[in-house]
Amino acid sequence: MKTRSWLLGNFFKKIIAFSTKASILTLLLVLTGYTAAWSAVGCDLNDPDRDVARLFPESTGYKTIYVAVDRKGGEPLLAKIETRLGDKFRGLYETIDVPYTIYEIFSNKKKVGYIHGVNQKGQFGGIQVFLVLDLEGRVKGFYIQKMTSQYAGKLRDAKFGRQFIGLTLKDFELHYDVISGKASGKVEAIKNPAPEAEADFRAALRATKKNLILMDEFGYLFQAVSSPGGPQKP
Amino acid sequence: MMFKTLAICISLLCLTNIGQAADHLLYFEAQGIAGYSSELKKPIYYSMNPDAEMQKPSLGFDYLKRFSGESGDVATFALQGRLALTFNGENGPNDVTLEPQIYNAYLKVKTPGPYMWIGHNRPAFGLSSYFDSHGLLLRTLAIQGFGYDRDWGVGAYKDFSWGDISASVTTGSGMPVYAKGNYMTAARASYGVLSQDNVNLGFSLGYGNTLDTMGYKLRDGDPRLMKLAGVDLTILRNRFEHRFDFLAGRWLGEETYALFYRLGVNLDSEGRLKVEGQPTYWKTGGVENYQMSFCFSVLATSNLTVRLGYTFDHITNDNRVLLQLYYYRPI
Repeated sequence: MKTRSWLLGNFFKKIIAFSTKASILTLLLVLTGYTAAWSAVGCDLNDPDRDVARLFPESTGYKTIYVAVDRKGGEPLLAKIETRLGDKFRGLYETIDVPYTIYEIFSNKKKVGYIHGVNQKGQFGGIQVFLVLDLEGRVKGFYIQKMTSQYAGKLRDAKFGRQFIGLTLKDFELHYDVISGKASGKVEAIKNPAPEAEADFRAALRATKKNLILMDEFGYLFQAVSSPGGPQKP
Repeated sequence: MMFKTLAICISLLCLTNIGQAADHLLYFEAQGIAGYSSELKKPIYYSMNPDAEMQKPSLGFDYLKRFSGESGDVATFALQGRLALTFNGENGPNDVTLEPQIYNAYLKVKTPGPYMWIGHNRPAFGLSSYFDSHGLLLRTLAIQGFGYDRDWGVGAYKDFSWGDISASVTTGSGMPVYAKGNYMTAARASYGVLSQDNVNLGFSLGYGNTLDTMGYKLRDGDPRLMKLAGVDLTILRNRFEHRFDFLAGRWLGEETYALFYRLGVNLDSEGRLKVEGQPTYWKTGGVENYQMSFCFSVLATSNLTVRLGYTFDHITNDNRVLLQLYYYRPI
């Protein structure tokens, strides 16, 4: 009889223990189940301390923030961004819930600009294109982080990056078609240093335009040319 | 106690929500794994060993928070935990247990000099000091048991334009914490910034008295001498990824040599399809072994990765086939 009671007690203890564990697992699934079905990992600087100091020499510090299209404006915002880009967001790097990493750059306690990177499909996997921007949305620096192509050195060369300095969203929005690759104005003057890497060159230009539009729609380029009712001062 | 702590952490983190702009990221992680072992002649539900922390069917989270002052970031906190199901059927019918695991758990602080971290993080030794393989089927040397993929302690690292230097002092116990006179010191210097140069060559030294653990299981309560030197190399070029890791010296008191080479080939321009091959060789305590592994990965969606792996182990003559579904998304 004692043995039977002990067995029953043990059995119920196991049931209770299992129920607790199962409840926690269920809670996990419920709490996470309501979120969007698509997502991806964002684009961070490999070493922000070193990279921010190099890309923004007058900086004394930076603050990292994360912004995602689904949290900022959802499907309507995504549609607006796609319209301005002139192409659909697609694939692994352009899902609606990609958390974009924006570095707010400070000189002492004064904000002086931003660094923002985006992932972009390249010739051999993803490439990462960072823009260094002043508060007016002018490009102060251009930096390709990840790129495994054998011609990456030419596209990462400072000489290539210097061609982007001074350009704004207006230059890309009005003068660069990401589908045809047709450029005019100042964008047309950007020369590909590695003709063998035409796909990566075009990917870098698309990433630049995408980067600027996202910054504008996230409200960080309050002086830049934008669609009506678009940007606001963050 | 640990189970309850982990459960509370998970529940609280799940209730957090990223606003329009956030200082934190929270990911949900889930994985299922099943395979077949010719040595055991039955299905298995883990990639390596029932006692090892990886890979097992599990649910978990990955949390990262930045702390900022008026003029910028000052610290980062990372916490990654899982509830893993362990199917231990090595010696008979499957014994199923639920195991809470703490993986990343550290506070990283900016100082005028290097970054400093305290908690459960990567020791500064070999390829595993910077290559994150916690979700992968193929094993690095640390995962294989020559070192620890994560260990409790403190560390520092500093990046330079030519490479980086890192050092750590940890408990030499891996996933659990023990104070049995065990400790591990390690330092690594590397040349090349992988994300810019597509190459990184590292040299490591390690010394201490470390414990023989596998996952949370203590296999030997007496700390053993660790005195290792290592070289690691990563080269990325076009669609090819080469990773090489070699260590030599004394590990757990035994004369040890271990090396592996991993070749990865990205089959498409978005990195959705990847094949990898990896021979691994080691000799420890006079016993030699080698393994041959392959893995085919498909990023079915940006959240879901499907991996099909195969490993042959020379000593056990085991042919092992594994299927893994790995799910990771922000919440």
